Amino acid sequence: MAVRTPASVPIRQAAPAEIALTAEDDSARFARVVLPYLGDAYELARWLAGNRTDAEDIVQEACLRAFRGILRFKEGNARAWVLTIVRNTAYTWLGRNRPANLVITDDLEAIERAENHPDYPTGSDIETPEAALIAKADAARVQTALAALPAAFRETLVLRDLQGFDYREIAAITGVPVGTVMSRLARARRRLMGSIVKDDDDAHV
Amino acid sequence: MPMSEEDRLLVHAYLDGELDFADALALEKRIAEDQALMKERDRVMALRNVLHTLIEPERPSPALRARIETAVGLRRRLRPRSLLAMAASIMLAAVLGSAATFLVVGSRDEDSLADIVVSDHIRALMAPQSVDVVSSDKHTVKPWFNGRIPEAPRVVDLAKDDFPLVGGRLDVVRGEPVPTLVYRHHKHIISLTAIATKGKSDTTPQKRTDDGYNVVTWTEGGVTYLAVSDVSDADLTHFVELFRMAPADQ
Repeated sequence: MAVRTPASVPIRQAAPAEIALTAEDDSARFARVVLPYLGDAYELARWLAGNRTDAEDIVQEACLRAFRGILRFKEGNARAWVLTIVRNTAYTWLGRNRPANLVITDDLEAIERAENHPDYPTGSDIETPEAALIAKADAARVQTALAALPAAFRETLVLRDLQGFDYREIAAITGVPVGTVMSRLARARRRLMGSIVKDDDDAHV
Repeated sequence: MPMSEEDRLLVHAYLDGELDFADALALEKRIAEDQALMKERDRVMALRNVLHTLIEPERPSPALRARIETAVGLRRRLRPRSLLAMAASIMLAAVLGSAATFLVVGSRDEDSLADIVVSDHIRALMAPQSVDVVSSDKHTVKPWFNGRIPEAPRVVDLAKDDFPLVGGRLDVVRGEPVPTLVYRHHKHIISLTAIATKGKSDTTPQKRTDDGYNVVTWTEGGVTYLAVSDVSDADLTHFVELFRMAPADQ
């Protein structure tokens, strides 16, 4: 599982031995544990923040947090560890900078139940489109629909379908039980299927 | 019949590779008989496919990386001397990089490739699960690789010849993730690793043994295959013949 970052090769060789020993150790550890997942970190931050500039701020802040806490990382799943920090930093950052938009994510399932599925979770298959229609969706529509998902659904779907984490890792990153991950993922997918196809009818929303 | 919420979650978990072998097989049987389950499976697969093909991952900017590396003391403001040192090391990295690419393509290298793939096979056998995605259905296994690696491998169904598909996993060969298909023959597991070797000409299957495991290697259409197993030499050769003759999947 050891992952090397190509970028660290020139950097390490170029760095003169002037840096204090402890700092060098932490930096090298950071280069090994965190840097390989910078792309994943940025990807998650972008989907949580909704734009590149804020995603960069979040990733930078998360990396500093990870650097300060680098000794707390006890080997194991570095990628999940890094994304947990990014995810928590993103919500703190959004709470600080966009308090008006912050959604309380605790009881989404209940909100959804009240919102449009009175008979959830035993509800039938109403309005879930066929696979053939889903396959016809275009990129812009999928982007918009994904960005419009409630944050708890969006993060679960991004972690699973775009970043390939398994259920247990997602549960650890988002701090909810595996069962909640499963139901959020199914609901996220279902909502997404509905909106990428439904927009066909009223195209200019 | 409308699908229960539990069944819906089960179908999703199945497609996400979260079910163990027995549960996955049981669900596959139910899916084959139940329209609602089948439609859900198709929908989720279509959605995943749409997400993988339409949503492009975006790389962080070099400027962001530079800011972070500076902040944690991995990079200093460049002075002429260290700039030179960096240029030299980048050249070194480039030379090493191209040498490595060349090695993968060179045929003398297949011994060490076989070593790596045999170790991956042994490690997988020792792990609680020898596969990352459990399914006997090639239409589940192939899409699982999409999004994880640039190109999903060719997956064929050999169940009727007594080599049922068990699933797939990602192995790491020289720092690169490569797809491995896992087949079963009676009580034995066969790992079939497919490594992209663009530009390498086709070769016929070559046999060797490594650590007591039989290994068969061949190259076809820019992909080098390594089949590893403790089945007999004859069985592994038969498996390779079947795999190579099987029609390409749509």
